[in-house]
Amino acid sequence: MPKLVLKFENAVLQEMPVNAKEVSIGRSPDNALVIDNPAVSHYHARVFNEEGRMMLEDFGSLNGTFVNGQRVKMVTLKPGDSVAIGKHTIVISDSRDLDGFAVGNGGAKQAAPKLNETVILDTKERRAFMQQVAAVGESSQPAPARLKLPTLVVRKGKTNQKEYALTDKLTVVGKSAMATVKLTGWFAPRAAAQINRREDQSYYVGAADRRPNVNGHPIDGPTKLSPGDLIQVAGVELEFVYRD
Amino acid sequence: MTCEIEFGVRSDIGCVRESNEDSYGAAPEIGLFVLSDGMGGLERGEVASRLAVETVIRECRVARSLRSTDHAANGISGVSPESNQLLAAVREANQVIYLATQETEAAHQMGATIVAVRLTGERMSLAHVGDSRAYRLRGDQLEQLTRDHSFVAEQMRQGRMTETEAGQSGLQNVLLRALGVAREVEVDVTEELMLDDDTILLCSDGLTRELTDAQIAAVLGDCEDAQEAANELVQAAKQAGGGDNITAVVLRSAAKSAGAFARIGRWLRHSGN
Repeated sequence: MPKLVLKFENAVLQEMPVNAKEVSIGRSPDNALVIDNPAVSHYHARVFNEEGRMMLEDFGSLNGTFVNGQRVKMVTLKPGDSVAIGKHTIVISDSRDLDGFAVGNGGAKQAAPKLNETVILDTKERRAFMQQVAAVGESSQPAPARLKLPTLVVRKGKTNQKEYALTDKLTVVGKSAMATVKLTGWFAPRAAAQINRREDQSYYVGAADRRPNVNGHPIDGPTKLSPGDLIQVAGVELEFVYRD
Repeated sequence: MTCEIEFGVRSDIGCVRESNEDSYGAAPEIGLFVLSDGMGGLERGEVASRLAVETVIRECRVARSLRSTDHAANGISGVSPESNQLLAAVREANQVIYLATQETEAAHQMGATIVAVRLTGERMSLAHVGDSRAYRLRGDQLEQLTRDHSFVAEQMRQGRMTETEAGQSGLQNVLLRALGVAREVEVDVTEELMLDDDTILLCSDGLTRELTDAQIAAVLGDCEDAQEAANELVQAAKQAGGGDNITAVVLRSAAKSAGAFARIGRWLRHSGN
């Protein structure tokens, strides 16, 4: 019985015998063969049996299905064919070839990455590598250029200013000498919360001596701020905005 | 503003490699702790990582003694002078390794990662290049403070790979940035808050490839002592396979713990390679 062997690079992720009438392939968990990657459509393609022939049909997926390098809509598959979906490959295998295959490969998959020497890509290689990968998959997250000044506006509570421009990489809210947002209440903590600017110019609020709320919900780890978000901590409420 | 730092360090060759290319060092008097993972054949990795650590420590000491503000011109805005000194020191380490590679045959090329923290009161300056990491345990929350300059980490940031895929990828060893590869290097510099109860971990990828965040958090949370935590982390990574060299540096505010000097003594014993 033929099998579909799902691979990512050289690692075998899953093997599935084609004994059912149809194997649906996609990102949604209700597919028979799930490929959890954003480059894969929710219902991407199917492999089905038609009068003894193994057929592959692409459901008009955004990024396409490729058999041996050719983009396809509907084709007949034969053993040895290689189906590319996103960065994953499904190899059509006759199970007679597969005895002992899964075990041997499973072992190699575990050990291989760890034994490899570290490789550094130089600038040119890196660009080529990134472009190659960018060709597959959805173009992602345009980071909007912000010319506006990220600012905390005090909505409630006792602080030494009404507004704070977030010009530093680290902004501390509290009584501490290094705090930018100085709390002046009697029982204010030294460091109630911290706000970090990351390399991509986004801002994250994190817990310090207190765990802040964002929009009324306690944060669970560093939380990215969007304009209009309200940070509530140690008796103050701060709104994150972009000022002209 | 001075706060005593309790620290522990452990470095191990692991179970597979034939040499330890990780290096570490400290200048406790200026709150500086540095870890580097070298790469390159014929022991060049060891040379690169040692050059990285030594250069960063030397440059930070010099900058502090000069109370230098020269670095401001090439520095970044929105961070403390100490952070800019650290940035300048890491850039210098890049130059030193790069120039050393120019003098050698192509077959002997080398490079290194770096992760360095500098504690100035409650402010922690953090600089890194490559896939060596800094973590902070605050309460029961472990936070990775650095973002790897590796291919798989970049893919995950862009939403092209899930965490599971990254863990299975054969490309985990591909770095996008390292010291010594080009004349200039882009260094990530951030600032963090160091509270009395925080624990900081610097480690090479030999640790993080073997242990999950939950395992790391459990060890850091359970150990009373920074040195014990470093020992246990490295031991756990060896038991999990030890596929690469493993180095862990654990830092804690010693405000609440006694015997800081005894621990400095221990550090000195361990730092003799």
